[in-house]
Amino acid sequence: MTAPSERKPRPCRLLDIPLLDYREALELQRSLVDARHTGRLDRDVFILVEHPPVFTLGRRGGLENLTVSQEILQRRGIPVVPIERGGNITYHGPGQAVGYPIVHLPSAGWKVVAFVEALEEIMIRAAADFGVSARRDVRNRGVWVQDRKLGSIGIAVRHGVSFHGFALNAVVNLEPFDWVNPCGLRGVQMTSLARETGRRDLDMAAVRRTVLAHTARILGLDFQPADPAWALRQAQPTTDTTSPIMDHLPQRTRS
Amino acid sequence: MKEIHELNLAEDVRYTQDHEWARLEGDTVVVGISDFAQDQLGEVVYVELPQVGDTFDKGEEFGSVESVKAVSELYMPVSGEVVAVNEELEGAPDLVNKEPYGAGWMIRVKPEDPAQMDSLLDKDAYLEHLKGLES
Repeated sequence: MTAPSERKPRPCRLLDIPLLDYREALELQRSLVDARHTGRLDRDVFILVEHPPVFTLGRRGGLENLTVSQEILQRRGIPVVPIERGGNITYHGPGQAVGYPIVHLPSAGWKVVAFVEALEEIMIRAAADFGVSARRDVRNRGVWVQDRKLGSIGIAVRHGVSFHGFALNAVVNLEPFDWVNPCGLRGVQMTSLARETGRRDLDMAAVRRTVLAHTARILGLDFQPADPAWALRQAQPTTDTTSPIMDHLPQRTRS
Repeated sequence: MKEIHELNLAEDVRYTQDHEWARLEGDTVVVGISDFAQDQLGEVVYVELPQVGDTFDKGEEFGSVESVKAVSELYMPVSGEVVAVNEELEGAPDLVNKEPYGAGWMIRVKPEDPAQMDSLLDKDAYLEHLKGLES
């Protein structure tokens, strides 16, 4: 079997969204996954987005890795959202390029590990375009500049369809990362393209373009821009009657 | 990724389109994931299983497997009550990779309607399903 990226690019809807609340983006992803699974949606979707400040918890939790009180976050209006992706706690904010591939992995020929590595590769190549040499670490997934973390990763797979994805720190304010042990790792320093290059005026639009170009190449996708109205039509309420947010807080942690 | 002809597809189980298998043993059904699924996932680092006594409908999510930063959901092949879970997986989740049809089993279910087993795929039908995925 040839690597998916070496085959003819597969058509893929592109949702290039400047800024969207995390929970709305999550609902959108879940609706798209459902549509892709049932066949209502006949092709993959890639969402590029930035989020207003938010902390998210992975399936194995991560509240214990929050080092400030939830009241402080509440006062600042920063929500904490538990979700179904792999990984632990992390932060999203404006200036971070977030990519959500809604890809039917088996039909695209992707093995899950290879897919996670491909998402890391997108961030590594995007960083290289700005002169930042980043690498992966097979023990601690994500993308690193020496021992500083530049990009995070965490996906979920529902009926073979991926969602969640990667987050590359471009010009994002790094201070909120100090309020957690990111990804459950103690003493990890986060970094950004702006910090590594010393360019505070780094052009976020250029970062987004670069991320899209590498995503298309590495995932083997042929982007077809879709308008937000189309996406909202896909995001009709699903049959899921339980609260997707709080009901899925995992009670068990890994021993 | 294994080629389809390299896959180990057990004869004594039935399969779902989502790559779980189900084996009728007496009046209970044992559930795990197929060789295709474990190969697709890569090294399994964590398996989240339900509690004994939980009941689920056919197709409902009963747990998840986590490989590298990826959580994949698991679905019930038949409706029923969980009567046992494989506690070995807590300390040795890689059993799912090593022995997907044996020591890597996940849950044992008391089926609500054993006839639901007939709606699952036999080995040949599952093989056809796998071939169809590669289009």
